[in-house]
Amino acid sequence: MRKRWLAALLLTSGALIFATGAIGSGSKSTSGGTFRLGTASGIDSLNPYVAFNQDAYSAFEYVYPILIQYDSHLHYAPFFARSWHASKDGKSWTFKTQPNAKWSDGKPLTAADAAWTINTDLKYKSGATANVAGLVSHINNAKAPNATTLVVNYAQRPSPSYVLGQFQQFFILPKHIWAQHLGKKGAGLKTFPNNAPVVGSGPFNLVRFKMNDVALFQRNSSYWGPKPKIDEFGLQQYSNDDAMVTALKAHDLDAVESVPATTMKTLRNAGFVVEDVKGLDQTDFIINSNPKKKHHRELLNLKVKEAFDHAIDRKKIVSVVYLGAAQLPSTIIPASAGVGWHNTSLKTPSFDLKLANKILDGLGYKKGPGGIRVANGKKMSYEVIIPTDVQSLPRTFLIVQSDFAKIGVQLKQKALDSTAAFNQMAGSNYTYQGFDLAMWDWTALIDPDFMLSVVTCAQWGGWSDSAFCDKKYDRMYSQQQLAATPAKRRQIVWKMQAYLYKHRPYLWLANDDQVSAVSKSWAGFKNTPQGPFNELNISVLTHVHQK
Amino acid sequence: MRGTDYVLKRIAFAIVTVFVAVSINFVLFRLAPGTAVSNLSRVPHATQQLRHALEKQFGLDKSKGEQYVIFLKQLVHGNLGISYENEQPVATNLRIELINTLPMVTLGTVFSILIGTLTGVIAAWRRGTPTEAVTVSSALGFYSMPTHWLGLMLIIIFAGTLPTGGMTNEFLLNPGFWQHLKDLGSHVLLPSLTLGLVLYGEYTLIVRSAMLETLGEDYILTARAKGLKPWTIIRKHALRNAMLPITTLVALSLGYVVAGAILIETVFSWPGIGRAVYEAVLQRDYPMLQGAFLLLTISVVVCNLIADLLYFKLDPRITT
Repeated sequence: MRKRWLAALLLTSGALIFATGAIGSGSKSTSGGTFRLGTASGIDSLNPYVAFNQDAYSAFEYVYPILIQYDSHLHYAPFFARSWHASKDGKSWTFKTQPNAKWSDGKPLTAADAAWTINTDLKYKSGATANVAGLVSHINNAKAPNATTLVVNYAQRPSPSYVLGQFQQFFILPKHIWAQHLGKKGAGLKTFPNNAPVVGSGPFNLVRFKMNDVALFQRNSSYWGPKPKIDEFGLQQYSNDDAMVTALKAHDLDAVESVPATTMKTLRNAGFVVEDVKGLDQTDFIINSNPKKKHHRELLNLKVKEAFDHAIDRKKIVSVVYLGAAQLPSTIIPASAGVGWHNTSLKTPSFDLKLANKILDGLGYKKGPGGIRVANGKKMSYEVIIPTDVQSLPRTFLIVQSDFAKIGVQLKQKALDSTAAFNQMAGSNYTYQGFDLAMWDWTALIDPDFMLSVVTCAQWGGWSDSAFCDKKYDRMYSQQQLAATPAKRRQIVWKMQAYLYKHRPYLWLANDDQVSAVSKSWAGFKNTPQGPFNELNISVLTHVHQK
Repeated sequence: MRGTDYVLKRIAFAIVTVFVAVSINFVLFRLAPGTAVSNLSRVPHATQQLRHALEKQFGLDKSKGEQYVIFLKQLVHGNLGISYENEQPVATNLRIELINTLPMVTLGTVFSILIGTLTGVIAAWRRGTPTEAVTVSSALGFYSMPTHWLGLMLIIIFAGTLPTGGMTNEFLLNPGFWQHLKDLGSHVLLPSLTLGLVLYGEYTLIVRSAMLETLGEDYILTARAKGLKPWTIIRKHALRNAMLPITTLVALSLGYVVAGAILIETVFSWPGIGRAVYEAVLQRDYPMLQGAFLLLTISVVVCNLIADLLYFKLDPRITT
């Protein structure tokens, strides 16, 4: 009886385990090998109209054709579009696309697929395709007069770099697949799961996907561009950095996309190649800059903001919180974002508590009980909202809090999950009356348009977390989108950074490095500001190979 | 007849419990500040229109009352709704995550029940001896350990010997049945062991307490006087009569198996239902939360119902 019971238990356990794994396991033996990459983020959806995580967009970069990519110097380079030119009035752009290209299911890939994707995104931009609407703004329509020509017509003359920046992030979808899933008013575009194997036309085919676990990519034999050297790569998701680093050390992984600074030394000692490059992520100290702010209006005073800026010990933050794996920031566009966009004339504000105190003294904000200053009859004591998902912020806050106390400003931490944090900051009606200060981070793109947009009035209720709204700034934002030449655009972009540097909706805290690690048995694995698995180009995983 | 009344009453009570829990869950999740829209509308290329489009699509532009009626109507038709996060049917998401979770949590729970019962019996039988002190204090020690800390310690200890994350090695070359089973077994070992170690102390204490009570009964003294072997006394007389509280605890534990184990799934990167629920909380994915908690409610209520019915069998006093 007892033996029967034990046998039943073992069989049940075995059956449960096998039933779980039977969903998918095993891959083909290949000559170029399988490259196993660990990530802490992962792909949240295979549908470009639903996906949210950067890993999902990086995966699409390798699976779907894109008109333009960045080269290794972050200049625009041909991809599915082999060449391009604008009409004389600059309102029409013609792209000559790759001839004889095919989708992974054997159907022809032509300029008509690109035109269909653009027109579909335009048609449903208020609904199903709203998450990519920014990529088709200013576009009237797109046409494909023949299989290798795409003509995109704009409502007004856009800046050339703006156009190229738009199409560097624009995934072309197979019309013959997606047109079947439009549904009512395009709603089907969002509910189509786009299950693996995904029909694509990039260097790899996404052949297997398990949510929160793994995505497996196989070399696409019908790919029209340079073939990858490996046969497969897998993206393994870890929800615990320590476990991921342990897996790398045990050679269960070949590389890790982003490793914590605390493990750099250990991994180097264990014989791994650890590459530390300047990143695109910057942590910030947000000052509610809503011009209609009702409480603590002293925070709108530029001199107060300046005093706060001088009370931040950024060198200590970089040294203590990031163990040196970060840079001193200065503007909204990090130094690693693109070529020439970062305004190098703007320097990191000095850490000078004496100066900060002098500025606040000059404003007449005298210290009261407990050494806390009083402004407009109220204590300079503020809650600082901190989202719990940015790991570096709690320690950073302690450093800032300690120095602010020395200038008579009391800071109190209010930790919330990111949804609750944004809800408190923006308020239920997006009036931005519910907070004074916050800390968060931004991850910039290579093109500066996105970062510059987050402080426009139009982003209230959208991306805005500082409630900064300034008509002069908004005018400059539109001008940079329509600047006739890259040089002219760069000039405006620099001016906008200087404007924000002066008005300080954000006090920048640290510009985190991007640190990746790879086993020494692999070559060609290169880190970039956006990490090795990125949306910039398909370079890293098409070049990586076994030594 | 009395037995049928008892069963029908328990079933009716279970149905009412599920309905009340479902309604409370609906309200509870909406009390958390923010909605899914505030996160999902913040993607790099989105415009203001996305927020309005998402609110309309998710039905969040309707009043809470209307949302509740729609939710109940869908539920009556067996439709758990569509996840806000990945726009896939909640039932499909839950099915996949549940299949992932069940083996790990079931093994851990079964392990804890077996070890807990064994150590509880030993502690009671060896009352007042160093054996009792060792079994009880080690059970309490594990019970009081933070789950994630114990998981991390096991990762450090077994690094390089056992896998530290994921459910399977997806890069195995065409594994056969046994190789696949071995791979799954090696992945499930550490998370299940962590769960089992953290949970078994609870069983040790309950079993010890129940056993001490029965071991003091006259019929045990009679059995000893008759010269029965200790193991026979424990198995046939003491443990059987101590089964009532143990049955309750086992039923409750099994009911919670479908809830997964958030901390363990996070530490071991196990793509189970616990992590999915945690993500759904962060994203305010109401349909996923409602679906997961409905599943949990039904599971707990059904397991309790089974326990009630087992009482009926185990203890004739209930019907007399």
